[in-house]
Amino acid sequence: MMRYLAGAACGLSLLALASCGLVTSTNRSVFFVFDVSGTYVKSVPDATKMANITIAKLLPGDWVGASQISACSFSEKEIILQRQLPTTPSLAAEGKRELFNEFAAYAAQVKSAKYTDIRGAIAQASFELKQRPEEKRFIVLFSDMLDDYSKSCDTSEIELDLKGIHVVAANVIKSDPADPQKYLDMLKEWEATVVAAGGTWSLVTSPDLLPKLVTGV
Amino acid sequence: MQQLDSTTANPSDVAAGGGDFFGIPYGWPLALAIVALVIVMWIARQPMHRIVRQSFFFLGYMFARWGSALLDHGRRAREVTNEKIASQRADELQDRMLHLEEKMGKRTEQLARETGPILKKLDKATHELATSANAISDINLEDAAERAFRAALPSMESSRGLSKVEKNIAQNTARTMNERLAPLRPALITIRNESPRLKEVAEKLVKIEHDFNKNASDVNQAFSEFEEIVRSEDRKKIAARASIVVPWLIAVLITTIALAGVFLNFFLIERPMAEIVGEGARIGGIGLPTFAAIIVIFLEFVTGVILMDSAGFTRLIPAFHSMSANGRRVMLIVSFTFLALFSVMEMTLSIVREQIIEQDRETDRLAAQIIGPVLVAPASSVDAPAATDAAAPSQAPQRANVFGLELSTFAQLILAGVIPWLLAAAALPLETIIRNSVFIVSIFASFALIFLGFICRTISALFKNIGVFVLAIYDFIIFLPLFIQRYVQARRAGDAGSPRPRAKDDDFVLNDPAPPKAPKREKSRQSEPELEKAS
Repeated sequence: MMRYLAGAACGLSLLALASCGLVTSTNRSVFFVFDVSGTYVKSVPDATKMANITIAKLLPGDWVGASQISACSFSEKEIILQRQLPTTPSLAAEGKRELFNEFAAYAAQVKSAKYTDIRGAIAQASFELKQRPEEKRFIVLFSDMLDDYSKSCDTSEIELDLKGIHVVAANVIKSDPADPQKYLDMLKEWEATVVAAGGTWSLVTSPDLLPKLVTGV
Repeated sequence: MQQLDSTTANPSDVAAGGGDFFGIPYGWPLALAIVALVIVMWIARQPMHRIVRQSFFFLGYMFARWGSALLDHGRRAREVTNEKIASQRADELQDRMLHLEEKMGKRTEQLARETGPILKKLDKATHELATSANAISDINLEDAAERAFRAALPSMESSRGLSKVEKNIAQNTARTMNERLAPLRPALITIRNESPRLKEVAEKLVKIEHDFNKNASDVNQAFSEFEEIVRSEDRKKIAARASIVVPWLIAVLITTIALAGVFLNFFLIERPMAEIVGEGARIGGIGLPTFAAIIVIFLEFVTGVILMDSAGFTRLIPAFHSMSANGRRVMLIVSFTFLALFSVMEMTLSIVREQIIEQDRETDRLAAQIIGPVLVAPASSVDAPAATDAAAPSQAPQRANVFGLELSTFAQLILAGVIPWLLAAAALPLETIIRNSVFIVSIFASFALIFLGFICRTISALFKNIGVFVLAIYDFIIFLPLFIQRYVQARRAGDAGSPRPRAKDDDFVLNDPAPPKAPKREKSRQSEPELEKAS
């Protein structure tokens, strides 16, 4: 009898161990970063639309965060929202609509900033994402990627840690059409920075590609 | 190898030129080496032969043993399978006989009820016919005619003319005859009426007899086949008579169709299952709603199996065989209820699925629509977001609906309601698949064993022949010293006057022929020395 009980206990233990390894999460966390400096602030409504399209394709249980690039971006003040979608489809749909409203409200009252602290914003987004349990993490940057640091908040030398984070640069408008090489060099430089920090880099030019890149669908 | 030009140089010169064979220069060193090798081979002939024999022949022997064992196992496996098939066929026949017996028993009970009125009718009809016949036989026509004629005479006498007399005779006789035969008419009517009824009753009885005979013939046939299966020594023949593959193929076909239904069912319930179990987790690489949908389908199938088994249609679960009739009835009701609940659940999920699709579509539309300062009130239901695009619904064409549901949703509803029951029906061919698959696998396994045995024996023959071939080649290389040896041995034997030693100690003879068997007659003569002495 004891032998049977011991066997059953061993079997259950093995099953429990196997189950622990078997159950994994499919959720992802996505952090949107909107550039509000200079003339790019005019592109924020378009950027929020792209963010909405991406959110619409997210799955129940995914996490969404948003912040803005301003003069000193590495700050909680710049965070616009942080929310996890409910795990059931109907509630998740409601949650997505609420996010649309919040983005719409944000786009309606957004104010321009003098400087562009992109590095600080990435560091802020990375910091927030590192707190999340989701395995797949994305930072989606809506910016022209031209940084301009103020003297009081120069983050150009800070070290970034982007391990396990995929950085997506979306809606990167060309500020100087007369110098394409400068634009391409700038993109290469940012890619090198992200890769050096342990992350992966993608550039999205078409709005429909962003949801596909983030959700994989 | 170097080309030798006989016109310009001799072999030694060529060898001196630098050619060699495995490091031995051509010419006399090589010739010497070959001679030395042949002598060494001649000296080492016996141990070398032994080595070759032991290696090749031993392998051949091993493979032969394995081949025999495998053949034996294969044949035995086939016999066991045949026996199982025959037993299974016997079980089937036994069931059939029991079923027929039960059917006949029920028919017998019915027969008493059916034949009672028929026999009463028959009795009544027979009685009436007998009464009528008696009445007819009681009437003496000659006497009646005479009496009629006599009764008519007084009126005839009163008439004057001859023609009138004749007329009167005829009229009076006819009337009187009519009066006399009046009692006969009801009997004739009764005969006319009762005859078809009698025929009908007789036909019914013939049909009943025919049914009975057919059932009895079926039972007899099943019994004789059963008896043959039980008693026959030729199990292979008995097993070959039972068809395995055809029912198996039919069952597989039906199950495949049912599995197609399972896939359909799966796609119907997979998405709405997220509303019950939520999304975001994976179990063994499968999404949680997908996993839950698969589990629900399995549960439906299991419920179907229990339903079919408790209803007595299948015999997949042994526990049901020993269960009481009441217990089985309870299980039947329980499984039926569960299946009905599953059906209702799937119907509900099909509606939820439509709602989710509608919500997602609306969310996508809103995501593309909301730009800048356009604000939208938070949506609490599917219909609420329509406020942002109030004109759209009014412009959309009215779709056909049934009970307030769109046609496609209604079709989904029907499908979701029906599929669990179809899944339950898939349990019917499952029994045949499981049982016959075991037989098919057993037969294939036995054939595989026999085939492996054949291969092993072929390899065995191959090794033995390779061994013989190697020995022959070996002896061919050293044929010259061997010939000299044999010649010398023969000479010595000739000098000594003894017969030449044979193959026992002469390895040159590889296949020493067996000594010829003496004819039986000679044997019997040689084996009786006592008789010779006596004579």
